[in-house]
Amino acid sequence: MSVIDWTIIAVYLIWVIWDGIRLSKNTSGLEGYFLASRSLPWWAIGLSVMATQLSAITMIGTTGQGYAVGMSLLQQYYALPIAMIIIAVTFVPFFHNARIFTAYEYLEKRFDAKTRSFTALLFLFSRGLACGAVISAPAVVLSVMIGLDVTTTCLLMGVPTAIYTMFGGVQAVAWTDVKQMYLIIGGLTAACIALMLGLPETVSVGEALRIAGTTGRLQVFDFSTDPSVRYTFWTGTIGALFLFLSYFGTDQSQVQRYLTAKSIDQARSSLFMSAYWKIPLQALVMIIGVFMFLFYVFTPPPMLFNPVHDQRVRASARAGEYVALEQKFGEADAARKAAAEQFAAADRAGDRQASDAGSAAFNAEERRVQAVRAEAVTLVKEVSGDSTYNDINYVFPTFIVTHLPVGLIGLLMAAIFAAAMSTISGELSALSTSTVIDFYRRWIRDDDDEKHLLMVSKAATLFWGVLASVVAIWAAELGSLIEVVNRFGSFFYGSILGVFLLAIGWSRANSTGAFVGLITGMVVVGYVTIFTSIAFLWHNLIGAVVVFAVGMIVSELTGPRKPQSAVRRPQREV
Amino acid sequence: MTAMGKTYVKVAVVWAVTLAGLYIFQAYFTR
Repeated sequence: MSVIDWTIIAVYLIWVIWDGIRLSKNTSGLEGYFLASRSLPWWAIGLSVMATQLSAITMIGTTGQGYAVGMSLLQQYYALPIAMIIIAVTFVPFFHNARIFTAYEYLEKRFDAKTRSFTALLFLFSRGLACGAVISAPAVVLSVMIGLDVTTTCLLMGVPTAIYTMFGGVQAVAWTDVKQMYLIIGGLTAACIALMLGLPETVSVGEALRIAGTTGRLQVFDFSTDPSVRYTFWTGTIGALFLFLSYFGTDQSQVQRYLTAKSIDQARSSLFMSAYWKIPLQALVMIIGVFMFLFYVFTPPPMLFNPVHDQRVRASARAGEYVALEQKFGEADAARKAAAEQFAAADRAGDRQASDAGSAAFNAEERRVQAVRAEAVTLVKEVSGDSTYNDINYVFPTFIVTHLPVGLIGLLMAAIFAAAMSTISGELSALSTSTVIDFYRRWIRDDDDEKHLLMVSKAATLFWGVLASVVAIWAAELGSLIEVVNRFGSFFYGSILGVFLLAIGWSRANSTGAFVGLITGMVVVGYVTIFTSIAFLWHNLIGAVVVFAVGMIVSELTGPRKPQSAVRRPQREV
Repeated sequence: MTAMGKTYVKVAVVWAVTLAGLYIFQAYFTR
């Protein structure tokens, strides 16, 4: 990378710290620090929520997914607008009227301290580790691309984020998220335009998209009813509905954001920003992956996108095999390019028969290219001993550093940093809030010394920032282990939703029912995850239903709560 | 219907239009 690109990244990192510290002036007291004194406008909260969701993993992993298999993942987001309507009607008024700091606080008001502390602990455990993964996954890729070691890259992401989150609280998180979101959208749009301009002059964007379409990469609706298929219309609209209800309705990183709104309607409006824009934004990310595929159909791609493994194999005893594969790959790639040009020409001429033949020929050459690549991947796995090798995450960064002009490289790299930092900052703020409100103030020091609690809050933010960076550096070394830990976190996502649904939707539910239901739900989801092939998007639905059903039955058996003693329903907002 | 009720309907309509648009996109470019 050039000096100009490094300067852009450096300016971004310095600016983000300065901006966060500048906002620390407005954080007086716990409510100011954790909830921005419930004063943020809906559009800022909406952008902040979207920025938290759009992580660096999304930018490099999802574009890679679009490149390799296409846009089928988009179906995962189809239920999001419906989930937002349900949350706006149910969770938002309950949380707002309860005047709480954390979602888990509500569970003590409704059930007991045990249920609150247990769910808060699950959140801290899963989010604390996930926060490390949010840093490590992109850091591993970016370190290769920008020529820094992994530890330095992890620290470049983790330390500035911890600093501005610690000083500025949720106010700094939200306002830097807004600006980071502008940078991310600007970067993604610039990349998309650059990719379209990178197509040959003889092939229009429409013709290029037909080439992608013929490989199945533009399939955004799959109505398969096979429960083991990961992304279908049904997993996206039914299974994912429960994932989004769980994420936006019960995860402190999201709940905290809409608790910063001035009113219930402002909180609802902030959620509707995601309802309107999440699917188009995710489509933009995925179409970038598809355009990268098209770009590399007409521009010779590297056989493997991870240069570290590429160099390792070249230096090994099997370098000869690798070079022979490269030659085979070059021939297959050239044949694929010729087939693509023929297909585009037939499409342009409107010759249906030639177009069908061109489509078949292109797909045959595409399969040949993929077969050679698969051989190369097997060779890398054997030489490196890394059985999990996968270079999909390297496709977008490789395109950025090898094909974009100076300046735009820095902008895109800064956008990837921004995506990582906007996610981490939201998580750090939520982790700190839950630590202080659900544990420190609840169990250790329950007094009104705001100055002391604010100091503890800042220390907790710093603690989680340091821990996330350490976990990130450790995760970069251990790779697949952290994936297992993160998967363990998904065991209780749907179950936590079940507890909240029980709290809000079944007035006779008692604390015993809630706790037994929660444990049963987690065990069932754990069993389904380990012993069945049911796609993960169904796990949240299973967890929520089991918790709700078991919670209802146990509550009835152990002496149901009297309806008149249930939590008062929210009043209509004036 | 309240203002927020109208917003819920608007969100649902935009959702349906978005999915319909994606379906047309898929049908047009994938033969």
